[in-house]
Parts: sequence; structure tokens; C-alpha cells
Amino acid sequence: MYEDKIRKIAWDLLEKGNVDFIIGWEKGSLPFLTAPLICRDVAETERLVWNPFCANNLARYLKYYKGGKEKIALCVKGCDARAVSVLLREEQIERERLVLIGLPCHGLINPKKLLENFPDITPGEVEWEEGILRIRGKEENIVHLLEGSCTRCRYPDPPIHDFLVGEKLGEGYAESSEVEDMLEYYDKMSTEEREEFFAREMERCIRCYACRNACPLCYCQECFAESTRPSWVSPAPLAFDNLLFQLGRTMHMAGRCVECGACGRSCPVEIPIDILPEKVAESIRKEFGFESGLDTGETAPLLTYREDDQEDFIK
Amino acid sequence: MKTLDWEPKIVAFLCHWCSYAGADLAGVSRMQYPPNVRVIRVPCSGAINPLYIFKALREGADGVLVSGCHPGDCHYISGNYYARRKFMVMKNLLEWLGFEPERVQFSWVSASEGQKFSQVVEEVVESVRSLGPARKMIKEFSFDVRR
Repeated sequence: MYEDKIRKIAWDLLEKGNVDFIIGWEKGSLPFLTAPLICRDVAETERLVWNPFCANNLARYLKYYKGGKEKIALCVKGCDARAVSVLLREEQIERERLVLIGLPCHGLINPKKLLENFPDITPGEVEWEEGILRIRGKEENIVHLLEGSCTRCRYPDPPIHDFLVGEKLGEGYAESSEVEDMLEYYDKMSTEEREEFFAREMERCIRCYACRNACPLCYCQECFAESTRPSWVSPAPLAFDNLLFQLGRTMHMAGRCVECGACGRSCPVEIPIDILPEKVAESIRKEFGFESGLDTGETAPLLTYREDDQEDFIK
Repeated sequence: MKTLDWEPKIVAFLCHWCSYAGADLAGVSRMQYPPNVRVIRVPCSGAINPLYIFKALREGADGVLVSGCHPGDCHYISGNYYARRKFMVMKNLLEWLGFEPERVQFSWVSASEGQKFSQVVEEVVESVRSLGPARKMIKEFSFDVRR
């Protein structure tokens, strides 16, 4: 069992005093949800879990320990590890302070899709063990239940890690023909449809900033959205201001976004807001051949330039 | 909304070393160009944050013109190269979301190109005029929310 291995590693790390605390997931207070868990005591490691409902990107929590001395062990999925790698590149945390417990990820299950496909399901009826999903005792294919960002996952294995729990998976679902890429669905829309879709979605936004707060790479001391002098966007949740907030956020993520989809999963009104940064990440991959968070030492695409960059849009 | 006496409002971000001087040259050479542009001088096109452009649109500009030095001529050596990448990413995103591409336009104008500056302004004003007042995702939707 992978969970036992994680608990064992966590136990050993705490017992030997190699780290001050472990950040992982524990069972949530609602079915099909998990909550982040910070254990400082060996006894708490029993509560750690690892399943396809571990939606939080735990790299987010590193920002709260910036500049400190504590050593941190962090459970990382593929995308979490990429986020850690970006934070390391941007000097937000020191590698010596981190112990990364890498978890090759089979994809996250969207609880809503699960309930649609299996009405009246209870948490006890869902079993997940070493990459195999069993629902009511029957083996099920996870691909129809995946979260949007996981349908376009390219790196299920953590590119940086100190421990690895489980087998490396190699390819993500992006190459698989079984899975429909979330972004393709929006790409197929006509521009008018897309515009209307976003206008409608933006009217529903309540500007709770959960998307920003869930993002592992949003660490500005003062966010432009809450700045009052100058005030970039109105703090009231007006549709156009909501859109501008998302555009500003997306531009901040350009060339950095690791496509973990944490922003979309955090949205309380279920706006698939992760498609904006993911669209930009895709256009950057196509245009500059750059993928964020792979620990290659390459300069971020917007921090460098080539003299022959495309400029046919400039008069 | 669209009335006979409506005139497009264009906010122009001009870099201090080239385009702003180009606009100045157009002025002192008595070249005619539409008075619809409101010029904002910035140190360099690389200093333009996409938020400036969004803010201009939010405050009711019908179009935005961003202008800097030609590639290779930047006073700060490479500011406009960085700007070019940034604008490309931004423009692709805006177009994907259904913004009319004519609303946000870019140009390179050097200090000696007064003629080109007046031409660019004319083109921008005309293309925005033919689109009409900015309504998509701007006024229409912010009014919608208050209903």
C-alpha cells in the first residue's frame, strides 16, 4: 500500500529529526474531499492519506515558511513537484530545507463527475489502491472521471523528488486517445461562443480569490487585485472586473503556470478558471517550446528574448 | 449607445525615447492626425504592464495603442524585445477570449517617423471607429450585473 509507505517515510523523517514537519493530505470533512495536513508529531502521520481526491497543490504552503529555518517534508504529485521547482528557480525556498516525497499520480477524480456517473455513491464504496480504482467492488477506468487539468497531464511523475512512492508512470493522459483534452473542448467553440461562455461565467464569479489562494505560484505580498493605489480592478464582483482580474492573474502566470488546475478545483461556483492559465501555458509551449517547472535550468520565456521573435501583429 | 457624435477614445502608451518623440515630431511638423488619442508617456515599451492596458479598457477607452522603438533601437538595449514577447502572449489570449483584435494595437515608431505616427493613429482610429464603442464584455456586462 502506497499510503503505508508514505506514513513510514513520514514517521522515519520525524523520528530521526530530519524534518520539522510533514505537509500531506488527510481525510476531509466531506465525502470525496481531502484536507491538507501538517504533522509535527509522529503520531499524526497515521492520518496521512493518498488517493485521487488529493486535490490541493501542497506547494502552496511553502510560501508561508519563506525565510524560516524549519525543514519541511512535502508530499508532491507530478504537478506539485513542478510548482516546487518553479519556486526554487524563483528563490522562494531553499532546496536544502525541503524533503520531497514524490507520488506518481494517476490523475485526480472530479467528485462531481463521480456522483454523476454513480448516483448515491458513498465514500466507503470507492476503493483506490496502487493505481486501480474499484467502485462497489468492480474495477473502473479512471479516465471518465478525471479532473479537467488531469486530462491534459504530461508529467504524472514528479521531476524532482527525494523519495518516490510507487512506480514511475512515464506518460500522462495528454498522449492518451481515451481521454478528451479539456482545452480542446473550448478550442472547438467558435470565438463568439467562447466570448459568451466567458461572459456568462464571469457574471457568476463572486471574487472570493480562492483561485489565487490555491495557486502555488501566487505569492505577491500585495496582489494587484486588492491594491487600492492604483486600483486596477474594482473590488466589487462586476463581470468585466472579474474578467480583468483573471486576465491579470493569467498574465502573471504566463511562462510559470505548471498546469496543476488547483485554481479551477478551488472555485466555489465551479467556474473552470484553470483554462485561462493553461491556454497561455499551451501557447507558450507551442511558441517558445518552454514548459515550466521541469528543472532544466532554462530561462523563463518572458524573461528572455530572441531577435527573430514573431512580430507580425506589430505595425 | 452608438450616436452620431460618438468619437472613439484611444489611449496611446508611447515610449519616451522613440514614439513619444515621433508624436512630437508629427506635431511640430504640423502633420494632421485625428485628435482621438490620449497620449501617456512611459519610459519604455518594456515598462508597460498588461494591467495598464486592461485598466485603460476598463476606464472606458475604446481602443489602446502601444508604441515603442523599433527592435534593436531600444534606449535600454532590449526593453522592446521583452515587450514583444509579453504582448504576443497577451494578444493571443485576448483574441482567444473574443476581444476584437483592433481594440489593442501595437506599433514601432521611431523618433524620426512623424509621418508614420500620424498614419498609425489614423489607422487605429479608423479601425476602432468602424467597430463602434467598446461594448463587448465591458459596458454591457458590467451593467448586466447591477440588474
